[in-house]
Amino acid sequence: MKINPAFAEKLLTRFIKEELSKFDFKKGILGLSGGLDSTVCVYLAVKALGPKNVVVLIMPYKDTYSKDVQDATDIANRLKLKSRVIDISPMVDAFYINHPTDNRILKGNKMARERMSVLYDFSKREKALILGTSNKTELLLGYSTIHGDMACAINPLGDLYKTQIRQLARHLKIPEKILKKKPTAGLWVGQTDEGELGLSYAKIDKILYQLVDLRKSKKEVISEGFPKQDVEKIIGLIRGSEFKRHLPPIPKISARTVGHDFLYPYDQEK
Amino acid sequence: MKIALAQISPKLGDIEQNFRMHIDYIQKAKKKNVELLIFPELSLTGYTLKDMVEEIALDPHTDPLLKKLKGLSHEISFVVGFVEEKEKGLFVNSAAFFSQGKITHIHRKIYLPTYGMFEELKFFGQGKNFHTFPTPFGKAGMLICYDFLHISSSYLLFVGGSELIIAISAAPGRGFSDDEGYASARMWELMGEAVSRFFQSFVIYCNRVGFEDGKSFAGGSFIYNPGGQLVAKSPYVDEDFLVKNIDLEEIRRFRKHRPYRRDEKPEITLEAFKRIVAKYED
Repeated sequence: MKINPAFAEKLLTRFIKEELSKFDFKKGILGLSGGLDSTVCVYLAVKALGPKNVVVLIMPYKDTYSKDVQDATDIANRLKLKSRVIDISPMVDAFYINHPTDNRILKGNKMARERMSVLYDFSKREKALILGTSNKTELLLGYSTIHGDMACAINPLGDLYKTQIRQLARHLKIPEKILKKKPTAGLWVGQTDEGELGLSYAKIDKILYQLVDLRKSKKEVISEGFPKQDVEKIIGLIRGSEFKRHLPPIPKISARTVGHDFLYPYDQEK
Repeated sequence: MKIALAQISPKLGDIEQNFRMHIDYIQKAKKKNVELLIFPELSLTGYTLKDMVEEIALDPHTDPLLKKLKGLSHEISFVVGFVEEKEKGLFVNSAAFFSQGKITHIHRKIYLPTYGMFEELKFFGQGKNFHTFPTPFGKAGMLICYDFLHISSSYLLFVGGSELIIAISAAPGRGFSDDEGYASARMWELMGEAVSRFFQSFVIYCNRVGFEDGKSFAGGSFIYNPGGQLVAKSPYVDEDFLVKNIDLEEIRRFRKHRPYRRDEKPEITLEAFKRIVAKYED
């Protein structure tokens, strides 16, 4: 689980730089929440592209997270970035006037997709490529909104577990107050990832590492002392979220079909 | 003898641009009086080609770009990786040795990794043989990437009399390590050290760098002498042009000291293989 943070920094900054230049973009854009992942991502983006080429959007819903907005603004100022605060409440609330709900998950997903929509709008305005901030833990558990926070052009942190991002964050010397924050998807006030998942990231990542990176069976992982119910819960979350890690299936009719046997690399002629 | 390794990042599927890059490196090498220049696996095309394989395959007998490269190989020899259309509709992952104005040998990759992140067997035909061949610097054998991770490949070159084992590679890095670079680098270096020491040949390993669809090619090209000693090494993940003098007399020196080659018994290995293979069952 231990990473070499200096090497991770070198590799990920190079990745950001190289991918942008392949697609003729100078600028990157990302949503900054004031949490750990987007802060680490923006630090890497600034190292890769320079502060003039990193655009930051801070997209609160009402004034529910004023502390996070303040933290995100501090990070942007500290890195000398152009940042905009865009309140997504008018768009979200306008929808719920006609379709009211008390379901917190529905509202959380709506907010995530509203932020996505704003990011894509500004991506075009600013000619800036969208950097995603999903980590390996949430990609594997499906702990994210499809077409919401998962939507991006490149995803630099997608192969680092949450606890590994914390190691990288320490190396990047991001402010202590961000490191100390309890991770939250910001779906509702007081929500924390670990509270909702019922397990700490330290525990989740250790189990994921055994199952995914070391390719151990459920039986082997349990026999190593990890609680059965935790291992089963994690396996259930991975299996239940497979659809979030794929493009939608296309029924094959013709001789050559997108996704089946029309196979070209993303980086073609790049 | 002066040798150079071009640890480059080819542009995926853009032969024209990669060809120009090869010309630049060949000219640069000539200026430094390099006698043998090595490019990585699929250096003319990039690696993650998928359905592009059939669109950018070249015929070494007729292709005009390869003809130009042949023309540049009078004062310098070089190894280039490309997709070869060996027969009509049969595409292989090839390494060509350019020397004295022609291609003097082609090795076609035999071990095509098709597991996990790799899918080469889906797009490529397999080579059939490991040959050694004469070069101006002694007898050489070529391997491509995963070929090199099968010890039998180097063994066959060893009993075939190789003095230089040239392995070209497009190896993506995998796994964290406490040291700089990927954990997977150790695998290549260990093989380089063991093969050079026990098969008493120079081992010249040229890997590439750069990203393709998120895969990061790990670099870390190296040269080991026939005693298993590291002679030169390129950095991990950074582009590099490594130029190094090697002493071909070391082959004689190490073989006099420990006569592994003289004492090797390929005929015993062959008979044992026949017996083992005859007993194979489904």
